[in-house]
Amino acid sequence: MSNMVETKELIFEYSGNEDERVTAVKKLSLSVKKGEFVAVIGHNGSGKSTLAKLINGILVPSGGKVFVDSMDTVNAENIWNIRQKAGMVFQNPDNQIVATIVEEDVAFGPENLGIKPEEIRERVDDALNAVGMYEFRGKPPHLLSGGQKQRIAIAGVLAMKPECIIFDEPTAMLDPSGRKEVMEAILRLNKEGITIIHITHFMDEAVNAHRVVVMEDGNIILEGNPKEVFSKVDKLKAIGLDVPQVTLLSNDLNKEGIKLSKDILTVDEMVNELCQLL
Amino acid sequence: MLRDITIGQYYPVKSVIHRLDPRLKILASFVYIIALFIVKNIQSYIMVIGYISLMILLSKVPLKYILKGLRPILIIIVLTFGINIFMTQGEVVFQRGFITITREGIEMAVFMALRLIFLIIGTSLLTLTTSPIQLTDGIERILNPFKRLGVPAHELAMMMTIALRFIPTLLEETDKIMKAQMARGADFESGNLMKRAKSLIPLLVPLFIGAFRRADDLAMAMEARCYRGGENRTRMKQLKYHSRDYIAAIVILGFVVSIVVMRIL
Repeated sequence: MSNMVETKELIFEYSGNEDERVTAVKKLSLSVKKGEFVAVIGHNGSGKSTLAKLINGILVPSGGKVFVDSMDTVNAENIWNIRQKAGMVFQNPDNQIVATIVEEDVAFGPENLGIKPEEIRERVDDALNAVGMYEFRGKPPHLLSGGQKQRIAIAGVLAMKPECIIFDEPTAMLDPSGRKEVMEAILRLNKEGITIIHITHFMDEAVNAHRVVVMEDGNIILEGNPKEVFSKVDKLKAIGLDVPQVTLLSNDLNKEGIKLSKDILTVDEMVNELCQLL
Repeated sequence: MLRDITIGQYYPVKSVIHRLDPRLKILASFVYIIALFIVKNIQSYIMVIGYISLMILLSKVPLKYILKGLRPILIIIVLTFGINIFMTQGEVVFQRGFITITREGIEMAVFMALRLIFLIIGTSLLTLTTSPIQLTDGIERILNPFKRLGVPAHELAMMMTIALRFIPTLLEETDKIMKAQMARGADFESGNLMKRAKSLIPLLVPLFIGAFRRADDLAMAMEARCYRGGENRTRMKQLKYHSRDYIAAIVILGFVVSIVVMRIL
């Protein structure tokens, strides 16, 4: 299968004053297959949001290349195709909703693409149904909760029929129930075949991914399936990242001499392991 | 407390007037304003009263509600009335000292005051029966043909939409900042005007900074969703004229024609 997103020795510098130049991404190479769910974790300033903007063509690389479905983001002719193929959901739900009515906002993307009115209507209804927000279509967005607003933002991207969606910390400003709503929507979309790149600093959200990429100081320092990555508790803690709470617990119990599997990621797995000890 | 604000003065009931195409309503208001300025005699005023009463009746907006809208401009009406009644030359009917009232003055004053009142009632009927979203839509479509002359129809409508979208968000933010400042001992309510205005600075600075940050975010989100101005853009909701719109257009046309005819005769 071909790659949905591919970066080759990607470099990005924020141009400031001569001596204040910050290199946010340093020679980063990453490839994401079609249909894959990749979680990117790393703490503030690790360059993960910059990476997201580079993939969407909002930022242009200072060095190296980004390909989205084999299209180079540097080439200006490709930019609208890339943005249609790789949609993006941002952190702040309030700052990405454009229109005063939910369905109008979902229609914003397809309207920009110049799609026929009847088809936009269909797409908007489908997208709203996909995130479970259809009955809110006539509401003004400021009356919705954070989680609902974020689902509207997802519907807005979905209506453009993307093949890949980049989530840039979509749950960072939400309460726990809002986070759950959004995570469920993301997982459902991935099951339907949409490639997901999910940038987050909640480790629990990375557990469901096919692959976890850990970023630190503009580069990838750890990569693998969630079990491999989170079993390296000490390495993650050394760079100031958390691991899922149950993984931490099993690690601590192991240190105390209780033999547990080191790759426990969810509460269910933990319960299972503990029951076997009895 | 700020959650249920209504923007504009839209009065949400279901009526024929509410359902009319916003383009038609905007154009009709325009024509109505022009017609008001051709009106010169009592017969035409009766005509206007009849027309506007019919519209109010059909709109199902309570008369009291509409008249409330006149309150802010009461001073202007009184002023216009006063100036016209004392300053018009003509046949004297009353004189004491330097005050002279002429027959023409009375006539002129009454007509001018009525004209102002009808003007306000007519235009507020537009905003009372049309939601801000429909208004924006209508304005965009009306201005569309003038795009070639350099009228930024789409941009204007987009600006209005975004402004409407962010009014509640910014109000909420104002509320939050105010509470945060009050928790740290800020006082927004006492003191004279100068003092109060000064106390608003710690409120306005973070509000503006926040608004700029939002604008930056929004611009990025819009670009990520392939926004590239009005060119090649389609709209999901198309405005369509229905038979009721044609009937309304005939009524308005009839009204204007009879006003013009009365003026000429």
